[in-house]
Amino acid sequence: MEKMENQPRIIIIDDEEVVLDSCTEILAGSNYEVEVTQEGKLCLDLVQKYHPDLVFIDLKMPGISGMQVLEEIHTIDSTIVTVVITGFATVNSAVEAMKKGAYDFLPKPFTPDEFRIITRRGIERRKLMLETIALRREKEMLRENFSAIVSHELKSPLNAIQQNLFALDRELGESLNDTQRARLERMKVRIDDLIKLITSWLRVLSVDISKIRDSFKPLDVPPLITKAVETVEPHAIRKDIQIVTTIDGSLSPIEGEEISFVEALINIIDNAVKYSYVSSTVNIHAWEKSGSIEIAISDTGVGISKDEIAHLFSDFYRGKSGQMTESSHGLGLTISRRIIDAHSGSISVDSESGKGTTFSIRIPIYSPQNGKQTASESELTISSQSN
Amino acid sequence: MDQSKKLLIIDDDPDFVEGIKSILDAADYIVDVAYNPKDGLKALQTYHYDMLLLDIMMGRGAEGIMIARKLRKDPKLVEMPVLIITGIREQMAFLFPGEAVHPRFVAVDELVEKPVDPNLLLEKVSTLLQRAEERKAKIG
Repeated sequence: MEKMENQPRIIIIDDEEVVLDSCTEILAGSNYEVEVTQEGKLCLDLVQKYHPDLVFIDLKMPGISGMQVLEEIHTIDSTIVTVVITGFATVNSAVEAMKKGAYDFLPKPFTPDEFRIITRRGIERRKLMLETIALRREKEMLRENFSAIVSHELKSPLNAIQQNLFALDRELGESLNDTQRARLERMKVRIDDLIKLITSWLRVLSVDISKIRDSFKPLDVPPLITKAVETVEPHAIRKDIQIVTTIDGSLSPIEGEEISFVEALINIIDNAVKYSYVSSTVNIHAWEKSGSIEIAISDTGVGISKDEIAHLFSDFYRGKSGQMTESSHGLGLTISRRIIDAHSGSISVDSESGKGTTFSIRIPIYSPQNGKQTASESELTISSQSN
Repeated sequence: MDQSKKLLIIDDDPDFVEGIKSILDAADYIVDVAYNPKDGLKALQTYHYDMLLLDIMMGRGAEGIMIARKLRKDPKLVEMPVLIITGIREQMAFLFPGEAVHPRFVAVDELVEKPVDPNLLLEKVSTLLQRAEERKAKIG
């Protein structure tokens, strides 16, 4: 037996003292720590305290069923390897035990060699199980670190380029003519777009949006809208676009996660601003209707054609109509839809080419009785009258 | 302006460093650069600097954090203003939950994101230097 730093631990439970004694004797001199007990209840205490690698359980014991002990051991730690000891010709119960997670069975009477071999295999099995778990954990960590690594490798060169463009802009200052200045400005904008693209791309790849459910709490909608509008406003001002918010009466709270929900709103409002004509208005209207909060975000911009609506929420899609004038990375709406989905809500689009688009979000209101939303249908309804 | 103040940049990306160094040079700061944590620590222990501009992701991981920690344990360097310039703000959110700088994690003074706007860079550097001056005056 290969010498290990941590000696494998074994518990043997059998109501016959003679079995316990002989098993202990067989394993004496091997590199194992062995604990024995005649009581099923004591065995569970031992398992808790002792963290064994392998447990032998006699299926026929007075007082407590070996089968029950087996199950309880696996609830304590499912990686503990269990071997059942059965009386001669009780193959049926051995099969049942193995269905319940026992690794193997040892029919009585058994020879010392049989016992040694099965012990060795059980310990080996446990070692493999722990290794598998460690590997799985490592893989999980790699996936989580992936975004950090990729982000660093992709963004570093862009950051370096952009920083030098900033420096160049400053150094050349007044000496640039208008064309050169515009060219430099264009380079900065394109690099900036690329940095933003990588950031949102990584977010889509790395964030498990369903996890936001873990931090759900009741939220009032109006302050969320205000926050989102504040973020988008600088873009709107640059295009002389007014964002007007109307809230009908007082709204019941929804259940959600604030940061992601605000992000969903930002993406949609930002989208409305992006595809609006200069000096126009974006309207946000919120009201309560039959157990839901409805939020409509309307622009009077370029609108979306029927063909385009079908692709609107798919990953990496970018609207054609605005492509010539505005840059966008087409991920905002996808992220928004996933966030709204996670909130058991729905999002729909109504648009008329050349006249404008309305995005409607519907989120069920928070119901305290069950802590869950009243409706959970999440669907994308599309209606469009494209000219 | 804080003429003739001496700054040290520790960052392993020479091109990026060139981009900020030229901005700081033009503003009459004296700028030294270390391209790895080891040289950076050596420079900090050998020469006097008024401020440190520190990258986080260097070498095999977040080695910039180790530098910031060492700095805060060194009685001679504990008062030095540190401006973190990082490309990984989002990934660092867990290091600095809720705010730009998490005091329990590592005591740095400010954090800016790469690429950093020249005006913002100069403003942060000048603010941090001024704050350090005031602190010195109080202690002195």
